[in-house]
Amino acid sequence: MKKFIERFYVAIIFVFLYAPIVTLMVLSFNQSKTRSKWGGFTTEWYSALFKNDAIMQALYNTLFIAIASSVVATIIGTITCIALYNMKSRTRNAMLAVNNIPMLNADIVTGISLMLLFISFGMRFGMETILLAHITFNIPYVILNVMPKFKQLNPNTYEAALDLGASPIYAFFKVILPEIMPGILSGFLMAFTMSLDDFIITHFTKGAGVDTLSTKIYSEVRKGIKPEMYALSTIIFLTVFVLLLIVNVAPAQKEKRMALEREAAKNGIIKKSLFKPRTKKWMNRIVAVILTIALIIGSVQLYKKSGGTNQVVVYNWGEYIDPIVLEMFTEETGIEVIYDEYETNEVMYPKVASGATQYDIVCPSDYMIQKMLENDMLAEIDFDNIPNIKHIDENYMIQSREFDPENKYSVPYCVGTVGILYNKTMVEEPIDSWDVLWDERYKDNILMQDSVRDAFMVSLKRLGYSMNSTNPDELEEAKEDLIAQKPLTQAYVVDQVRDKMIGNEAAIGVIYSGEAIYTQMENPDLEYVIPKEGTNVWIDSWCILKDAPNKENAEAFINFLCRPDIALINFEYITYTTPNVEGRALIEDEAIRNSEIAFPDLSKYENLETFRYLGEDADRMYNNLWKEVKSE
Amino acid sequence: MKNKHSKWLAMPFTVWATIFIIIPLFMILYYGFVNGEGTFTWENILAIGEPEHLKALGISIVLSLIATVICLVLAYPLAMILSRLGINQNSFIVLIFILPMWMNFLLRTLAWQTLLEKTGVINSILSFLHLPALNIINTPYAIVLGMVYNFLPFMVLPIYNAIIKLDKDVINAARDLGANGAQTFTKVIFPLTLPGVISGITMVFIPALTTFVISNLLGGGKILLIGNVIEQEFTQASNWNLGSGLSTVMMLFIVISMILSSIFDKDGEGGMF
Repeated sequence: MKKFIERFYVAIIFVFLYAPIVTLMVLSFNQSKTRSKWGGFTTEWYSALFKNDAIMQALYNTLFIAIASSVVATIIGTITCIALYNMKSRTRNAMLAVNNIPMLNADIVTGISLMLLFISFGMRFGMETILLAHITFNIPYVILNVMPKFKQLNPNTYEAALDLGASPIYAFFKVILPEIMPGILSGFLMAFTMSLDDFIITHFTKGAGVDTLSTKIYSEVRKGIKPEMYALSTIIFLTVFVLLLIVNVAPAQKEKRMALEREAAKNGIIKKSLFKPRTKKWMNRIVAVILTIALIIGSVQLYKKSGGTNQVVVYNWGEYIDPIVLEMFTEETGIEVIYDEYETNEVMYPKVASGATQYDIVCPSDYMIQKMLENDMLAEIDFDNIPNIKHIDENYMIQSREFDPENKYSVPYCVGTVGILYNKTMVEEPIDSWDVLWDERYKDNILMQDSVRDAFMVSLKRLGYSMNSTNPDELEEAKEDLIAQKPLTQAYVVDQVRDKMIGNEAAIGVIYSGEAIYTQMENPDLEYVIPKEGTNVWIDSWCILKDAPNKENAEAFINFLCRPDIALINFEYITYTTPNVEGRALIEDEAIRNSEIAFPDLSKYENLETFRYLGEDADRMYNNLWKEVKSE
Repeated sequence: MKNKHSKWLAMPFTVWATIFIIIPLFMILYYGFVNGEGTFTWENILAIGEPEHLKALGISIVLSLIATVICLVLAYPLAMILSRLGINQNSFIVLIFILPMWMNFLLRTLAWQTLLEKTGVINSILSFLHLPALNIINTPYAIVLGMVYNFLPFMVLPIYNAIIKLDKDVINAARDLGANGAQTFTKVIFPLTLPGVISGITMVFIPALTTFVISNLLGGGKILLIGNVIEQEFTQASNWNLGSGLSTVMMLFIVISMILSSIFDKDGEGGMF
């Protein structure tokens, strides 16, 4: 009975640990790209995966960084533990406290502080900086795992070894090391795992074009994580799992057989054992060889600099361009594209501002362009090099003047509105106003945007104020309304609106128009509306950075993207509205070409605005009010 | 292995920690003690006293304490059961707990959303069995669940490691001397595995205290944790000074954990070394 309870308990824990893993594995066979809907069985993501060079390169980088950083961290961590073991407890505790710092600090604090450190050293951002950062946050895990083993050591065995004539080093390897080995092993594995999993610190310490799986996954968040990632995770998981079984089960069986044979030999049935207890050593050697090879290849990779000078360094939103377009550009112009991705304006800004990586061209949103302009970070674009600007809708050029008054610094790339996405089967009447987000009937069925400006935009617009208001009274009123709304909201989300709405998880959600087209394709019950009180017209535009080393190449790149056929390719990939009039005319599907959601006639709506940068003080006011809402 | 030369072994870590932990720490401290114009101020440190921040800190402490206790309660018996499976399986057991973490953290947390949502997998199963629905998504319960899920291995492994190192003779001696099962556990087994327990608690409580992704994805962004505040100050508000100030305050918890472990160390020095 006791045994049964024990087994049951272990089983429950494993179900708990592995339920999400199984979920992800199932999703890797899901035809639909959204996690909340089963679209039928497919293996297409697996074949797509192996054709995707970017993911394969990211996988390689990830493994190299994880192996190298955890090997170094394990070595440093273990020898540190030897020293700590011999220290006075006060010194030891001080060092352990220092050791805990990287674990306690929020990742973003560690990430930004390391970025500042590397900049002050004048280091080139790339694989090396990621490695240094990963070793730094891996050491604590090793020390925390190895230290308890030292505390449990019986010092007498070591003394005994010395008395029997062993040198200290020999005694360490023969007596101490086997005792602490389990701690070293779990420390190494934990370090490896943390390195595999880290995103924020990697983001701030990496150079352009160096991606790990984590940075790839996070950059996909805004546009929805591609099932290829589930497929890759499944493969990694199963590979390790199978290896694990082979390594552990095989020797166990062999040992059993050996024991039997020994027994037999004793009884004189067999004279000599056929099996020698070599398996473990043999296995260790293979692992060592594999590790060494991986490290050597990695180090070679590390110093393989991107040779060509004829290049352009692009920093764009994740999943915000069809990769084929980059290839076409290089083929036609001979300019090599170094491509890097971010997932919010706010994460992009400090990286560009710090100059950690020398980018040529970025794609910020409206208010961020204004902020960069005010901080003198952008270069005037030479429009003689961009004749294709004529294809861009005049309306959006005019709208751009909100943040770029003379249309000198930015070229619109993707545009859209913010509106309400609702499920026709879950609401009682057609929706046309922000008021519905305050309607008691839809309690727990409302999804609000989880970002300061977007949330306040909804509240301010509903009250009839400007969404760029800096009037404290208006903001206070908007805040009170948001607090009143809080009990009605199911969740504050950013990118999850898409999946939750497709999965019928909520009736109403605030969403970006570009996502609306996609959600409707996945769930025909969904409808998108621009509320009558007005809304935000957002514009993501290409800008060239002030000290861009390859300014002309950057202009050639923008010009290329403004070509109608290229705009069409990108529209079909991104599904966000293109301001390219000629490009739109090329869309074959009439329903989409004339879609009110994709291409709204802005003149039909009133009170449309575009976000402006309001300055640091106003930003702070907004943030403090938002904190009051969120902590309510 | 007391050895006067072993001091030098601390050199690599000391150098490394100075460059990559201490100097960046001072950068954070610098930001924490100046305002936007670069003049000295206590403002960012004292900001922890503002009601929203205090509340966020309070909720964070409570939720991470609950998660830590649940992890400990789940992990200890588990580690004991696992330790009886035989010494040969060591690395296997370590890996089986770490393996789930090789699927990206974000993907795993999103998978929990798929499992827990109103129309999610668990509720579909429950409704198929005509059982009442489980509505914990977007509540503090889901946040605690997320913390326990993500940090449980950090508790199991050190405890497991400590238990398998236990000298069986000590336990047998306790039994021979007349201790019953409970007494053997409280007087012998638990105190001897305490170092493992302490490092488990550190490795669960500290990361849980500053998490923000779990509260965003599983708590529906409706519960503001101190990690969310710090993250928001750095990313959305671009107010590095306040973010750094609050981070500096969080360092207090390192000091507290240091004091705690030194208290337990004193206990240990009699019996353990």
